[in-house]
Amino acid sequence: MNNMHNVWKSRFEHYINEVQKYMRFIFTGHIAIVFVFVIGAGGYQYSEWLKVAPANFPAEWLIAVIVGLILAFSSPTTLIREPDQVYLLPLETQMPAYFKKAVKWTFWSQLLVPVIAYIVAIPLLKAVTDLSVSQIWVGLALVVILKYFNVTIEFNYRYANRGQAIAVDRITRALLSILAIQTILTSGLAVGAIYIILFLAYEMSLKKRVAGQPVPYEHFVRLEQNRMMRFYRFANYFTDVPHLRGSIRRRALLDIVYKWIPFHKNSTQTYLVFRTFIRTDDHFYLWLRLTAIAAVIAAFVDIYLVTWIVVAALAFATTLQLKYALLSNGEFRMDMLYPIADDQRKKAVDKLLRVISVVQAIIVTLCAITQPNFYVIPIIIIIVSELTLRLSKK
Amino acid sequence: MTVLQLTNVTGGYTRKPVIQNLSFNIGKGELVGLIGLNGAGKSTTIKHIIGTLLPKEGEIRLNGVTLKDNMDKYRSSFSYIPETPILYDELTLKEHLALTAMAYGLDEKTLEKRSERLLKEFRMEKRLNWFPSHFSKGMRQKVMIMCAFLVNPSLYIIDEPFVGLDPLGIQSLLDQMDEKKREGASILMSTHILSTAEKHCDRIILLHEGRVRAQGTMADLRKAFNMPNATLDDLYIAMTKEQDNEQHA
Repeated sequence: MNNMHNVWKSRFEHYINEVQKYMRFIFTGHIAIVFVFVIGAGGYQYSEWLKVAPANFPAEWLIAVIVGLILAFSSPTTLIREPDQVYLLPLETQMPAYFKKAVKWTFWSQLLVPVIAYIVAIPLLKAVTDLSVSQIWVGLALVVILKYFNVTIEFNYRYANRGQAIAVDRITRALLSILAIQTILTSGLAVGAIYIILFLAYEMSLKKRVAGQPVPYEHFVRLEQNRMMRFYRFANYFTDVPHLRGSIRRRALLDIVYKWIPFHKNSTQTYLVFRTFIRTDDHFYLWLRLTAIAAVIAAFVDIYLVTWIVVAALAFATTLQLKYALLSNGEFRMDMLYPIADDQRKKAVDKLLRVISVVQAIIVTLCAITQPNFYVIPIIIIIVSELTLRLSKK
Repeated sequence: MTVLQLTNVTGGYTRKPVIQNLSFNIGKGELVGLIGLNGAGKSTTIKHIIGTLLPKEGEIRLNGVTLKDNMDKYRSSFSYIPETPILYDELTLKEHLALTAMAYGLDEKTLEKRSERLLKEFRMEKRLNWFPSHFSKGMRQKVMIMCAFLVNPSLYIIDEPFVGLDPLGIQSLLDQMDEKKREGASILMSTHILSTAEKHCDRIILLHEGRVRAQGTMADLRKAFNMPNATLDDLYIAMTKEQDNEQHA
C-alpha cells in the first residue's frame, strides 16, 4: 500500500512543479492585466445592475443552472501516464489506493470553481429573494456536497464504461444538480435531501459495476494527455511552451490571400510563410489577440495618450513576437535545402509582417472611428511596426 | 562522368570526427548503396553531402562545384529523401508538391504533368487536399518521395527508403529509381536491407566506424574478402568480425 502512496506523491510533486512553472508566466503576462480589467468592469456593472434588479428575477433557477452545469464537468485528474499500462499492470490490485488519492485531489482542486460561482451570486440572492442568511449558507454547503458526488460519480462512470458515452452521465448529473440546488433554495433542506439520496444511489450502482473491472488505462491516459494539452495551449498564450506542436487549421476563408502570390521561384518562401502564419493557431491567434486588445482599447478609452501608448506597444509586440516565431531556425525544414537565395525567407517574413500590420492598423482605426484624432492611430501602428522590423536583430 | 565526388572528407557534429578521410565517387546513371551498421556514419555522410554539415577537411563536389563555389547549382543538382519524413504540418499534399516545384524553378505545366504521374504511381491522387497530420508513416514517406522525384535532379540522395513503406510502395519506389537511372540520373541510397541493396545497386560502399571499409561491385567485394558466392549479408558479417578480431589482437 505504501508503495502506491509514494507513486502518487512523486507524480503529484512533479505535476505541481510543472503547473507552477507556467503559472508564473500566466500571472505576469499581458492577458492577466486584461483579465483584471475585465473582472473589475464586470463587477462594477453587476453591482450597478443589482440596484435595479427586478424582484421577480428568477435568481434561484439561474444560479442552479450555472452552478449545475459547472458541477457536471468534473473530469478526474488521475496523473496516469502512458507507460503505466505496462509498468503498473502487476499492481492492479493496489490501484484503488492510488485512485482514492486522485479523486481526493480532483475534488479539492476543482472545488473553488462552483463555490466561487455561488458566492458571486450571493448578493443577487440577497437582493431579489427573501432567503435568510443561514439558508444561503445551506445552499453553499449543498454545492460542496454535490461537487463531491459529481467528482466520484464521473470517475466511477468513466471507469465502469471505459470512457464511453460520458455525455449521458454528464446530462444526468447536470439535471440532478440543477434540480437539487433549485429545490434547496426554494423548498428547503428536507425536500432537497431527496436528491442527495438519488446521487448516493447512482454512485453505489456505479461502484458495484467498477468492482472487479481492470483499470481502463487507455482512457485515463488519453484524458490526462488532453488535459495537459489544454493547459499547455493555455500557457502558450503567455509564454513559449517547448515541445508544443501548435495545432493547424486550414481557415479556408483566407485561401483568397494566397491568390496574389505568383507561382515563381522567387516567391517560394512567400508561398510558405503566408500559409504558415494563417494556418498555425499559435501565430494567427497571437496576432488576433493583440489586434483585438488594441481595438477594444482604441474604441473605449478616450484619453488619447493612453490609447496611443497601448496601440504602439501592441504593434511592437505583434511584429517582434511574430518575427522571432517565423524566423527561428530550430528544426530542420526541407526549404533549408532549396536552391533559393538565403535571404528569401527573411524578405518573405518582412512582407508578411508589413501586410498584417496594415490590416491591424485598419481594424484598430475602424474601431476608433468615433473618437476624435482617430487618424493618428494607423500612422502610429505602421511606423512602430516598421521600426521594430528594421531595428530588431536577425 | 562523375556526378558526386568526395575527397578525403572528415567531419561530424562535434570536434571528434564521425567520418574520417572518406573518399568515393558516383558516376552518371549509377545506383550506389551506402551500407553500414547503426552509428557507422551513413547519416552523417549524407548530411555533409546535402550541406547541412560542412566538412572539416576535404571537399565535396557535385556536378563539378562545391557548395561554396555555387550554392544555387549545387542545391538544384540533388534531391533528398530523409530517413524520417519531414513535412510542413500546415501544407496539404498538393501544396507540398507546388512549393517544391516553385523552389526548383519548375513551371506550372511541368508540375501538373509530373505530379499527375507520381500521384497515380504512389496511389495518392485522392489525398491531394489532406494535411500531413492525417497521413500514416508510409504516406508521409510517399509525400517525400514524390517531392524528390518531381524535381528530376542529377542526383537522388535517399536515406533508408524502405522502412515504413508497404510492399507496393517499395515496388513503386524501385520502379521510379530504375526509370530515373535509365534517364541518366545517379542515386545514393543508404540502407540496412542488404538483400535489396545487393539486388539493385550497381556498386556498394561499406562504411564501418566512419571509414570506407570496402567499395565496388558485388564481384569486387567478393574478391576483396576472398569469399566467392557470398551474399552481401555474409560479406557484411565477415567485415564486422574481421574488425572485432583486429581490435582484440
